Amino acid sequence: MLVMAAKARVLGTLFRASLLLTLPIAISVVLVSVFTRAGTTVLFQVGPFDATLEGVDFAAQTLARLFAISASIGLFVLVTEPRAFVFDLERRGVPPRLAFIAVATIEAVPTLIDRATVIGESQRARGLDTEGSLRARLRGLLPMVGPVIIGSLTDVEERSLALESRAFSRPGRRHLLWSMPDTTWERVLRWGLLLGLITLVVLRFTGRV
Amino acid sequence: MTAIQLEGLGFVYPDGTRALDGVDLSIEPGASVAVIGQNGSGKSTLVRHLNGLLRPTEGRVLHDSEDVAGLRTAALAARVGIVFQNPDRQIFAGRVRDEVAFGPRMLGRGKAEAAAAGAAALEAVGLTDATDANPYDLGYSRRKLLAIASVLAMDTPVVVLDEPTTGQDARGIARVQQVIAQLVADGRTVIAISHDMRFVAESFGRVVVMGSGRVLLDGSPAEVFAESAWPVLASTYLEPTHAARVGARLGLGSTPTEARLVEVLSARG
Amino acid sequence: MLRLAGVGYRYAGYAKPVLSDIDLTLADGEIVGVVGANEAGKSTLCLVASGLAPGSIGGALTGGGFSIDGESMAGKPLHEFSTRVGIGFQNPATQLSGVTGSVFEEVALGPMNLGLHRRDTVERVRAALATLGIEDLAEREPRRLSGGQGQLVVIASLLAMRPSHLVLDEPTAQLDPEGTRLVGEALRALAKTGAALLIAEHKTDLLDGLCSRVVVLDRGRIVADGPTGAVLDDPALVERGVDPPSRVRLARALREARLDPGLVA
Repeated sequence: MLVMAAKARVLGTLFRASLLLTLPIAISVVLVSVFTRAGTTVLFQVGPFDATLEGVDFAAQTLARLFAISASIGLFVLVTEPRAFVFDLERRGVPPRLAFIAVATIEAVPTLIDRATVIGESQRARGLDTEGSLRARLRGLLPMVGPVIIGSLTDVEERSLALESRAFSRPGRRHLLWSMPDTTWERVLRWGLLLGLITLVVLRFTGRV
Repeated sequence: MTAIQLEGLGFVYPDGTRALDGVDLSIEPGASVAVIGQNGSGKSTLVRHLNGLLRPTEGRVLHDSEDVAGLRTAALAARVGIVFQNPDRQIFAGRVRDEVAFGPRMLGRGKAEAAAAGAAALEAVGLTDATDANPYDLGYSRRKLLAIASVLAMDTPVVVLDEPTTGQDARGIARVQQVIAQLVADGRTVIAISHDMRFVAESFGRVVVMGSGRVLLDGSPAEVFAESAWPVLASTYLEPTHAARVGARLGLGSTPTEARLVEVLSARG
Repeated sequence: MLRLAGVGYRYAGYAKPVLSDIDLTLADGEIVGVVGANEAGKSTLCLVASGLAPGSIGGALTGGGFSIDGESMAGKPLHEFSTRVGIGFQNPATQLSGVTGSVFEEVALGPMNLGLHRRDTVERVRAALATLGIEDLAEREPRRLSGGQGQLVVIASLLAMRPSHLVLDEPTAQLDPEGTRLVGEALRALAKTGAALLIAEHKTDLLDGLCSRVVVLDRGRIVADGPTGAVLDDPALVERGVDPPSRVRLARALREARLDPGLVA
């Protein structure tokens, strides 16, 4: 997976993002595992708590798993093009409208951020203090909420009207224009990984690993 | 009164795009200035530096010869009020009267004082009859006027209008022109961004033409819409006013407005 | 031929009609402009003429009826309207789907939704881009286009549906002068193909050079409907809250100063 990330040139971003995401959980995992895991080899003591080797080992394993999960999700989001995602969903039978909504939801986030920024500018230009105390900043959220919501709703309405004009609500299959190249080695890799996963699970259950 | 100076103002966005490049501009109190140029020429970036929404990456912004770098936007809002293009990105109150009172209240005025300032502002834009209405029951034109009123109520010495006539009908535009004339008569500085060349030629004493983050032309409407300046206008995808073109065609010198054209023709006899 | 006969319209939840007694025909090859003050009903008229009102937004359509090429459109499902009447709005950002990587794919979205085969889709996209002269934009990313270019892509997307009529609600309202010029040129090119266009606009200068007919709306009613020159020259236009074209304003200013308008001809 790290190899794929490196190939897609997102290794750095992925690392940082995954680290940020797992950090909060990681801290509590480490604290709990290291000090409360039953074990025989005590490394050091903090008050009534013993830090055991087994605990450290468990913590390390858990962290590795967490990192793998967040990194794989992160890789998916960073590398996938929206239209490839839509195409594949549709190819596998998901109705076009649903597929579109899935993508539009992801795309909605940057739009929302932009809108909030512009609204923030208007309110700040009227003296709303966004650089002051926390209390002031919280109070300052109120004049932002209304315009953000109304703006988003208006946006959705305009978008859906525009889509109707392009027969978006027409039932039936579409013949998609774009095709996603599915090279042999990609297919081999996919099946290989799936087989590898199944093998690992089986081996786990039969106690070999 | 606040004089504004921009010295070597440059701005580069975090993603590396350069929006402003070595802008030198000096605006005296009481001036009426229109900033024109195609989208992307730096107009919006420029005005956002006037009240600290954006901070220069090069150069300085001065109010009365004092660098505003250390002042917060909330503080600068008392000197420079900006009305942005889309009223719906600003309006949040359930009643018109509360919307116009917001600005003055933010600046620290008491309830009664803010209400009075709001009422005066509503009268200036012709919305007194809508004082207790819900802003969203007003049409788009009137919401735009409401946005202007809510900044007028702050009594700032400098008022900046970002595309005040875009989306407005004839009555709305006329009302905006009235408001600007009144502000100028009161000695306040008015700065506006606009795409409407006729509005610009008629309502402003000075026109600043921007292109690629630089000031290309800076002068009176007569200077900026004169035939000699047309190539510069064209470089930022602007066209002179109809009156200017007619005047040039008839060899009458620079006639940026209909009024001026009529004047020249009358004088010619 | 698109025909509204004595039509009225009320938004959902409102008692007062926004449009009353609308008699409007749009024949093939006609370019008709719609002018009026804000809130006169221009946008509502566009929504009604495209079937989106009441089809998508609800509300009540009253009166004689809405027919296209003699066929009543009452009760027809929304997607049937899209192949007969296309509608474009002011803001290019909300009309571009946001899920396509190129202008070509964006314009192809509509035909694909119609269930057309690839070859037909490609053909329609090429034709639409060619009509508007934007073949060079085909590989560009829709979100990186300028406002004017975005609107051209929107219009191309509508054209790819091969509607017999096109309704545009203030297509240049949010554009800079260059964008307005681009769209104006595109509309002139479109006019040459014999398309039927209904354009609501404030910019009477734009309509002056483009439309054969202009309709004036005032408080939900049509108060004038005639040849462009006659309607835009009418002094009553100003009372309706509409700015006449530059040439008309100038002529009036000259007459007021007791000068001959012919001086500037």
